Order: sequence, then C-alpha cells, then structure tokens
Amino acid sequence: MTSKLAETQQADTFLGRMGGALRDWIPAILVFVGIIAAWQVIDIVVGVPHYVLPSPAEIISEIRERALELLIQLGWTMLEATLGFLLGSGLAFLTAVVFVHIRLLERAIYPWAIVLQTVPIVAIAPLLTIWMGFGLAPKVAIAAIICFFPMLVNSTRGLRAVSPQALELMQILSASKADIFFRLRLPSSLPYVFSGLKVASTLAVIGAIVAEFTGADRGIGYVVVAASYRIDTQLMFAGIAYSSAAGILFFNLVSGLEKLLLHWPGARLEE
Amino acid sequence: MPNAEGITLRGIEKVFHGKTDVQALDDINLHVMDGEFLALVGPSGCGKSTLLRLIAGLIPPTMGEISVHGKTPKQAQEDVEFGFVFQDPVLFPWLRVLDNVKLPDRILRDRNPLHRQNPEQYARQLLTDVGLAGFEHHYPEQLSGGMKQRVALARALVYQPSTLLMDEPFGALDEFTRDKLNMQLLEVWEKFSATVIFVTHSIQEAVFLADRIVVLGPRPGHVVQIADVPFGRPRDFGIRYAPEFTDLVAELRGQLQADSPEQAAI
Repeated sequence: MTSKLAETQQADTFLGRMGGALRDWIPAILVFVGIIAAWQVIDIVVGVPHYVLPSPAEIISEIRERALELLIQLGWTMLEATLGFLLGSGLAFLTAVVFVHIRLLERAIYPWAIVLQTVPIVAIAPLLTIWMGFGLAPKVAIAAIICFFPMLVNSTRGLRAVSPQALELMQILSASKADIFFRLRLPSSLPYVFSGLKVASTLAVIGAIVAEFTGADRGIGYVVVAASYRIDTQLMFAGIAYSSAAGILFFNLVSGLEKLLLHWPGARLEE
Repeated sequence: MPNAEGITLRGIEKVFHGKTDVQALDDINLHVMDGEFLALVGPSGCGKSTLLRLIAGLIPPTMGEISVHGKTPKQAQEDVEFGFVFQDPVLFPWLRVLDNVKLPDRILRDRNPLHRQNPEQYARQLLTDVGLAGFEHHYPEQLSGGMKQRVALARALVYQPSTLLMDEPFGALDEFTRDKLNMQLLEVWEKFSATVIFVTHSIQEAVFLADRIVVLGPRPGHVVQIADVPFGRPRDFGIRYAPEFTDLVAELRGQLQADSPEQAAI
C-alpha cells in the first residue's frame, strides 16, 4: 500500500523532473540554433571561402552523405576510447583500493601520480606510438592514461569518505575486512567514483583522438587529420561533429548507469 | 579475579598521546550490574564518550582493567555483546530502513554461516516497537532526525546484545523529539534484559531514564558522585514534576558546579 503510493509519487516527480529539465534546456537550445542561423546568414552575406569556413548547410549535408563511412571510423575511435576507459578507470580504482589499505604505498606513489598528471598527454602520444606501433595499443594506452588520474583521485577520496563512527559500528559488529569493504567502503565511494567516471568518459574520447593524430590509418582522428591535408574543411567539421556527439553519448551512458546504480536519495554528488 | 557478572572497571586511566598528551580519564572505578540502566553525566570534555569506547573495546585503556562478564572488552566485542548507538545515526544511506536494521544480522552471518539469522519478522517488529511501522522501505534521507535515531536504536537491538551503549543518542534532537524518544527507549528497553550505559550531558534526561547516575567531572574525567534514582518502573513523564526528581537534578547540578565552577552553565 505505502510502497505503491511511494512509487506513484516517484513517477510523478520523475516526470516532473523531465519536464523541468526540458524547460531548463530551452535557453541553451535557443542559443545553439541562433549561432547556427547567424553562421549561415554571415556565410551568405559575407561570402567566406568555403575551404576556410563551410556553411552549416554544407556541413549538415556532409554529415548525412558520409554518415556510414564516418560512423565506421567513429566506431574504431570509440572502441579505443572504451577500452582505454575501462582499463584506465579499472586500474585507477584498484590502485585506490591498495592506497586505502596500505598507507605507505599511497605516500610513496600518490605524489608521483600527481606529478605525472601534469605531463601533457599530447607530448607522450608520439612516444607511445613509437613504442607500441600504429595499431590499437597506443590509442588504448593514451585513453587509459588520461582516464587514470581523475579516477585515482576520486576513488581514493571516495573510499576514504567513511565516517569514523561507521567504522566503529563495523568494529562493534566485529565485521571482517571484506565486509567493511563491500558493505561500507565500496557503496559509500560510488558517488565519488561516478563523478570520476564521468570526467574520464569525456577524456577517453579526447585521448583516443589525440592518439590517432600521431599515427593511425583509421578512426575519426585520422579522418580529421587526413582531411586537413586536403583542406577539406567540410569533412573536418563533419568529423568534429561526429566525435562530439560520440563524446556526449558516452558521457550520458555513464551518467545513465550512475542514475541506475546510485538510486538512493542524496547519492549523486552534483545534485 | 574478574567478576563474571556485570561490567567492572578498575583503576581506569586514559591518556591520548599527541603533541601534548591529554589525560582523558583518571582512576575510574565502577561496577555496572546486569540489566541495569546506568547514565554517565558530565560536561563536554569529561571523557564520558571515551569511557564508553573503552568499555566497547574500541580503544584500549592506558592503565587499569575492564571486565565485561568476565571477558576483556575486546573479547566481548568479538562475541558481539555490544550494541552501540552514536550521536549521529550512522545509517547507510544506500540501504532502506529495513535493510539498515537487518545489516548486523547479515554481517554476523558472513562471519559465521551457522549464525541463527533472526527472521525478518523480528526486524519488522522492532521497527514497529520504535514507532516506524510503514517506513520499512524508506531511505534514511527521507526520515527526520528523530526517526533516523530510532532506526539506529532498532539496528543496535536486532541481534539482542547483552549491553547497549548509547553515546548522547538524542543530543542533536529538539526537546519534544527527545522526550518522545526517551519514553520509547524505556518502553523498548523494558522488553529486553540488556544492560544500558547511556551517556548524556542532560541531568534531567539521566534522572528520567536511569537506575543509577555516575556524575563525571572534567579534565581529567573523574567520578564526582554516584547517585541512585528513587523511581521504580515503568516510568512516565509525571515523575519529572515530583519533588524527588527536581531535588535530585538540583543536587547533581550542585555537585558538578562545585567540582568545576567554570562549567556552571550546564
């Protein structure tokens, strides 16, 4: 009885939130449409050469005509990004677990992790290409490296975000280390872990594309670079549009998974 | 020889080591009888929470010994003899109310598969006893402070510990909620045979709830007085207007003020 009532209430607020979200988006959508329209008008009035700045209409037709080809290339990029994302985030989380349990290792390694983070990823990419060849490996590696740091920082913070009283409670219940980890530390880290994953999801796509710039024969990054040699700006814009869309999609997938897993009220950090 | 009955503290001293060592407790001697409701009262900084944590085996004493039914606190803790209610409810926000209450049983079963899991009905009954029937499937965030603390009480009782340790459990609540929870605590407690050690800084709350009151003075924490409460059970709010009640409150307050004049505003 009460649970049914609660469900309908939840559905109501969910619908309400959807409507609210849509209304919140209206100004942003209007700005986007406005800029595209202004761009089109300026293009017609001023007459910018098309190889410098193609008009939105031309870009849209390019997006549609070469959809299949670009989607296949995008598929490679997203494969690299996804593998790198899983590898980098997974390793980062495991490192955080080790850090939380062995303080000495954290003190020994964490400062270097922070220092390494300041090395520009663009500068490492050619090196990794030399080491690992032109295949999938260097792209996955760079996507993984770029995901690693935000995940490490967030996971470490999340796994530590346990109140001393909660730990005392587990001690009172004479809980095992496994119980303390799986029943307390892991769930209380999830909000932080997901805020790290969301950052990592957008970075992974960037990492994969940067890696493709330095040496690749496929992927959307390769398409953009190859088009730039031919001053095919139309194709470059289409590639940029596809990769942004993919980045947004990836981010929203992670975000959706977050909403699914962090179902309890007050769980999500950014709310 | 350690006393197999009750909880005995002998010559307890606790020093926290740091940049400057802080002595939290000095020469505490105390015997808590089985099934007794004992209140520890004192101003903040008198070490009453520390004393509770020593008994629970969460921290070791610097000197002296503690016997809980003939065992060391650590042994008693391993036998899960303690229930603990903190000032914060310390509920797990990702678990629904009923699952929070069932958490201790899940943990005990992980440790020992033979552990007799209390039927879910029991957890539900406890929630009913603390007045939370119908809230089993809510999340902690959806409850008020007083309701959360009642969930914490149910969680501490669900595995029927022999000793219930309460660390200013109602300290953060408003007066009306606190009154209600005091009454409910007594009702629930009367169903159990558990020993209760209840830390509070409210003398009135202590007199209303306890059989015996230990008054602690600050810096370092020491026993100022141990007073018997002259009321039987069950109790109701009426006793708070009895002259014996107000006399005892006044007496204990006087003792505390005499012990630590700068803390006169308790």
